[in-house]
Parts: sequence; C-alpha cells; structure tokens
Amino acid sequence: MSDPLLRLDDVYKSYGDERVLSGVSFEMDTGDVDVVIGPSGSGKSTMLRCVNRLTEIDSGAIYLDGECVTDADTDVNELRKQVGMVFQDFNLFAHLTALGNVTLGLRKVRGMEKSAAREKGYEHLEQVGLLDQADSYPAELSGGQKQRVGIAQALAMDPELLLFDEPTSALDPELVGEVVDVMRDLAAEGITMLVVSHEMGFARSAASDIVFLDGGEIVEHGPPEQLFENPRADRTREFLGRLRTEHEEG
Amino acid sequence: MGAETQESASAADGRSVRARATGLTDQPLTAFAVAVFWAWLVVRWTNDFLLGGSLAPRGTSFFPTAPIEFAATTLSGVAADLGVFGLPFQWLAGLVGFVAASIPYLPELATGVWATVLLTVAGIAFGFVIAVPLSIARVYGGSVTRSLALGYTELFRGTPLLAQLFVLYFATPLSIYIRELPAVGTGFVPAQAFWVAVVAFTLNSAAYQSEYIRSALNSVPEGQLTAARSIGLSKVEGIRYVVLPQGLRYAIPGWSNELVYLIKYSSLASFITVRELFEQADAIASETYRYTELFVLAGLLYLALVVSASLLMDAVERYVAIPGLGASGR
Amino acid sequence: MHAFPLQSDWAFVLGSLDLLFEGLVVTVALTAASIALGFLLGFPAGAVEVYGRGPLARVVETAGVVLRGTPLLVIIIILFFVVSVSSSAFVTAAVALGLRSGAYQSQIFRGALQSVDEGQLEAARSIGMGRLQAIRHVVVPQALRRSVPGFQNEFTIVLKDTSIAIVIGLGELLTVGQNLYQGGQSTAALEIFLTVSLIYFVLTFTTNRTLDYVDDYFTIPGGEQA
Repeated sequence: MSDPLLRLDDVYKSYGDERVLSGVSFEMDTGDVDVVIGPSGSGKSTMLRCVNRLTEIDSGAIYLDGECVTDADTDVNELRKQVGMVFQDFNLFAHLTALGNVTLGLRKVRGMEKSAAREKGYEHLEQVGLLDQADSYPAELSGGQKQRVGIAQALAMDPELLLFDEPTSALDPELVGEVVDVMRDLAAEGITMLVVSHEMGFARSAASDIVFLDGGEIVEHGPPEQLFENPRADRTREFLGRLRTEHEEG
Repeated sequence: MGAETQESASAADGRSVRARATGLTDQPLTAFAVAVFWAWLVVRWTNDFLLGGSLAPRGTSFFPTAPIEFAATTLSGVAADLGVFGLPFQWLAGLVGFVAASIPYLPELATGVWATVLLTVAGIAFGFVIAVPLSIARVYGGSVTRSLALGYTELFRGTPLLAQLFVLYFATPLSIYIRELPAVGTGFVPAQAFWVAVVAFTLNSAAYQSEYIRSALNSVPEGQLTAARSIGLSKVEGIRYVVLPQGLRYAIPGWSNELVYLIKYSSLASFITVRELFEQADAIASETYRYTELFVLAGLLYLALVVSASLLMDAVERYVAIPGLGASGR
Repeated sequence: MHAFPLQSDWAFVLGSLDLLFEGLVVTVALTAASIALGFLLGFPAGAVEVYGRGPLARVVETAGVVLRGTPLLVIIIILFFVVSVSSSAFVTAAVALGLRSGAYQSQIFRGALQSVDEGQLEAARSIGMGRLQAIRHVVVPQALRRSVPGFQNEFTIVLKDTSIAIVIGLGELLTVGQNLYQGGQSTAALEIFLTVSLIYFVLTFTTNRTLDYVDDYFTIPGGEQA
C-alpha cells in the first residue's frame, strides 16, 4: 500500500476572525480525479491554494508524495514545479503569445533550450486543441481558448498533480463545453486532478471521488454514484437538493 | 528555502491588487507639523500686516536664538568629550546650530511665503475660471471652437512657463499697462511684476487644468448625458447639472497635482523681480552669504506648503466623495 | 558676443540663429542626460516602493516626497551653492533635473507595476518561478509598456524645465534668448522670445509624436494595452 500522492492533515486556516478551513483532512492517490463541491465561501478555493502554497495554512500539514510541503524550509518553487494550477481568471501572461505562455516556464524554470521548449509547447497546445492559435495573444482569444491555453501551460511543466480552481466559472455558457471536454480527456489519460467546480456533469462522469466541503469542513466524500444518489449527511442532501432545483428552474 | 508570505492579501476570492499608501502624508506627526507651520505663518502675517509689528518688530523672529545656540554649543562640548562616540552628538549639534542660524531669517521669509501663497491661489483660481469653459469647448464644442481651444492648450503646455513669463514681462507692454492702474504698488496691493506673474500663471494653469478637466469629463459615461437629455434637460443644462458634478470629482487628483506644481513653479516669478519666497531667500543669501541656511529653509517651507496642499486636497476628496464615483469610491 | 548695428528686429533674430542653435543643442543634451539619469534612479525606486519592505522602502518614499515637493529652482541652487556637486553648470543641472525626474519616474513605474493584475504574478509563481524571476519576466515587461504614456509626459516636462538652468548661467536655449535680449537688441524682445518659444514648441511636439510612435510599436496586438 503506497503513500497517497497528496495528503492534507488537519489543516486550519483563518482570515482574521473568519475561520475558512476547520481541520480538513484529505487524501488522494496518483491517477485520481477528485472534485470538490460545496456552497460559496465554504473554503474550496482556499483549500486548493494551500496545496501549492499560494495561501499559507495556519496549522496542520500537507504532504506531497510522502514529503511535508508546508515546512518552513520547503522550496516553494520546487513544489510548484510538481503541482500545476489552472485559474478561474485564466491569468495568462498578457504580453506573450499562446506559445510564449506555455514555454515560459519550460525555459526559465526548467531551463530548457529554446527549440526544445517550442517542440514541447506545440505538443501541449495540440493536446488542448489550440495548435493553430500558437502565435495569438491572449487578448485575441476567446474565454474558452484562454482557459485551454492555461491548461496547456500547467501541463507543460509535467506536474504530478493538477489543481483546477473553478476553471469554467468565468466562462460564458457556450464556451464551457470545450474546456470540460479537455478536462475529460486529461482524466481519461490518467492525469491526477483536484478540481473545484460547479460542473456536475463532469463530476458525475469523470470523477473518482467527490468531496463535499461546507463551512470549512469536509462533510463527506465518496464516489459520484454514491454521493449523488445516496448522500449520507443531511447537509449534503440539502446542498444537492438546492442544486437540482436550480438546475430544473434554470 | 524561505517560506514565502501570502501572495495575495484578501479573503476567499484571493485576488486584490496590492495598493500601498505612501506613508508620509498619512502620519499624524505630519498633520501636526503642518498645523504648527500655518499657526506660525498666520501669527507672523497678522503681526506684520495688520498689527504693524506690535507683537514683535518686523524682521525680528518670535523665537529666541540664544537658548538654541547655547544648546548647540553644549552638544558640541559633549561630543568633544565623548571622542569617537560623540559622533551622533556632533551631528545633532550641527542640526541644532543650523536651526539657531536660520531663525533670524524666518520673518522675512514669511513675507515671501505670503507672496507665494497669493500667486498660487490667484493663479489657480483664475486659471480654473478659464479652464472650465476651455475644457467644455474641447469636449462639446464645434470644430472651430474645438481647434481654437486645442491650439491654446497645446501652445501653453508645449512651451516652458519661464519663457511665457519672459514673453509677458519683457516682450509685451503688459507691465506698463498694469503700472498705470490705480493702487498698484501701494499698501497691500503688490507691484506690477506680481500681476504680470499672476497673468502668466493664470494662462498657463488654465491650459493644464483644462486638460485634467477634459479627461475627467470624458470619463463620465456618455449615457449620463443621454439620460439627462431624455428627461428634457437641454445640452447645456445636462452638462451643468449631470456631467460636470461627476466630472469635477474625477478631476480632483489631476487638479491637486496642478496645485502642487503651481506652488513650486511660483518660484519662477523671482526671475521677473517678484519678491516671493525664492527671491527673498536669494536676496538675503547674497547679502549674508548664508546660502545653506536660507535655501534649505526655503526648501523646507516649500515642502510644508506642498504637504499642506496634499492634505487639503485629500480632505476635499473625502468631503465630496460619492460612493461608487471617482477614485475613492471605487 | 556679436556687435550689432541697428537692424530690424527679425533680421536680428535671423542673424542670431547660430547662437540659438547652440542653445538648442545644450537643451537637448541636458534633457537626454536628465531623463536617462531619472530612469536609472526612478525605475529601481519605483520597484522598491512596490516590492520593498521596511526601512529601504521608507527611505525611498521620503526621498521621493522631498524631491517632488521642492521647486526645481531650489534644488538646482542647493546643488550648485550648498552641496557643490560640480563646478560645471551642465553637470549640476543634469543632476538636479535627473534627481527630480527620478522622483517622478518612480511614481510612473510604481503605478505601472501595481496596475499589472496580481493574478499574473500568481500564475508565474504557480509554475515554480521565484519571486524575483516572476517579477522580471512577467510583471516588468507589461509594466514598461504601460509606463509609456506617463514617460511621454515626463519627457516634455523635463524638456521645458531645462529652461530653469538659466539661474546658474547654463547656456541653454532660454539663456541664449535672454542674453540676446539684454546684451544685444532689447527692442527685439518679442521676436526673440517668440522664436525661442516656437523652438520649444517644435521640440515638445516632435518628442510627443515620436513617443506616440514608440507606444504604438510596443502595443500588444488584440486592441488591449498589455
């Protein structure tokens, strides 16, 4: 029985008086696709950002591949080479082309030679279906295209774990599909993904585990069939019920 | 490797552009110093101009020099006794000695500050009166009006203020005309050179102010004027009651910029013999050779004026702020 | 100094074009030197104000406030008579203008650096870039592009401020004009100063258009300023 790839151990985080994460403990293995759901303000994004230390935890510990990454002497930059992130607001480098966005990390962080980086960059752009947009600037791309470049950028670093922070929330409805399709493909290829999202379709079909976070606590988690059809906790039932009504009305 | 502090500072959404307030103008010590500065000025001006020097003779400072000189020499003595450890005391002695040497010049410099304040206030107030119609002409005028306004603005912003002063003073009969006017140069009314400077500053400042106001007017969404007209207001009324009130608030940062500029550039009036702060410092320095004391003192006084202006404009901005409108409300 | 027989005022000005040209050269050289010095001081200062912590940032901020709050005239005089930076009027003027410009340029760069969305920095850090690396490769290129309008403004300001160097007798354009007026033909005041003003106007106009072109050249395609 090998170590889980990612382990959160009793993590606490507060912003001033507001307790955002309350004793969160969580594990995932290589190849897992975990989707975190929950009401807004439940701490989902914060939890994700703690994993790559964009946000620092107050207490507890986080382990990647058996090593504690929340130690004071962990090299944060090394950590971030192994954990990639896709942002809600895309955050593409506005002054670089799509190819430039994908290769910047390869050249400056992994120290790859320019032509080798370009090769790899094209590969990943093709993986997300944007090879023909390699020379376009972010301002020239649609929202869905921007997000796919963001995914390619994160993939190019060959991370062990890919974090998705509400990747489709900032997109117009008709553009969501192209991004979710890419995410499905990645899941099928065996990429380890931790996703915060409202996209229930994706969660149902591609996730290995659904985690329900509410008020900073993991209320319950389980495989999609179990959680969606037979939630154990009342709060989960309530939340899912609300979602269903919205879905029917909307 | 060292743990990095949080990259972003706010709560759950985790995204905020970090805005650092510049520390100096926010500190209470600054406000206190500025208050002391103005208290001294007002007392000195009242004494000199209204009370005919009854509190203290004109030219004599309120503050006694002797005790401060004594303090300086004492500190020097202490420093000498302490040898190498006396270095901070020596430095302090130098500072105190500087203060002692500068005190006698304060009254005359205060007269200079009066002229500076007058020049600035006149320049900016008259400039504003011209700037508002000028900027309206540039935003809402027909092509001829717009070009004329643009020409004026480009001309005055594209040439140095000093050159403009020279043109008005040496190259036009303006100073002669002013000299002929009654009351110029008598009693409280300053001499003709002062008024020529006021004209120059007015014309120059009008050009810069109109630029700030113009871009502020442009920031007001077009829909505002449309909405005004659709309830029956005429174009002029719409501009006056809807666009201007919003636009002028957006203009505050640029306008306070202009105020600070005018305070500093009023020093150029010294080139046409106006006895404002710089000229006073220069005149005394040439007589007494106390260049360091006088020009550093002048610099400090200008700084005090500039900081006062910033504090004033901050207060104005807070006073007229409307939630959601302008920089403070965003 | 030329000796002039009485001639028409415009003829006088035309005859003095060589002197005016010399003044023009001094003005341009002084502007270039000051702007360059201002950049060398201002860019690091702006970066320190945005990213620095503790005493260094405070020192830089205070220096900036003092330099921006003191009239240039006072700065020049202090540097010439009190601190005596150099016996050369040109060097002193360049240092004075450079310090002042640096203080203003630091604000331009500070604003530009702060206007780059925080998310850009986060994205760079989340692919493993160090803080300094991220700032250098992601924030700075965008900030520099955004600084161009402010820089354009600063350029013309420095150009016009060179006229203040007249106070230490530097032979820049306005000084030449003044000398022609006082030492030459005092009836030609209008013609002299109008010509001088016209030359300044042409200078500022050309500079602005050139910098507009530079701005266009560096704009990121897509209709957005980076």
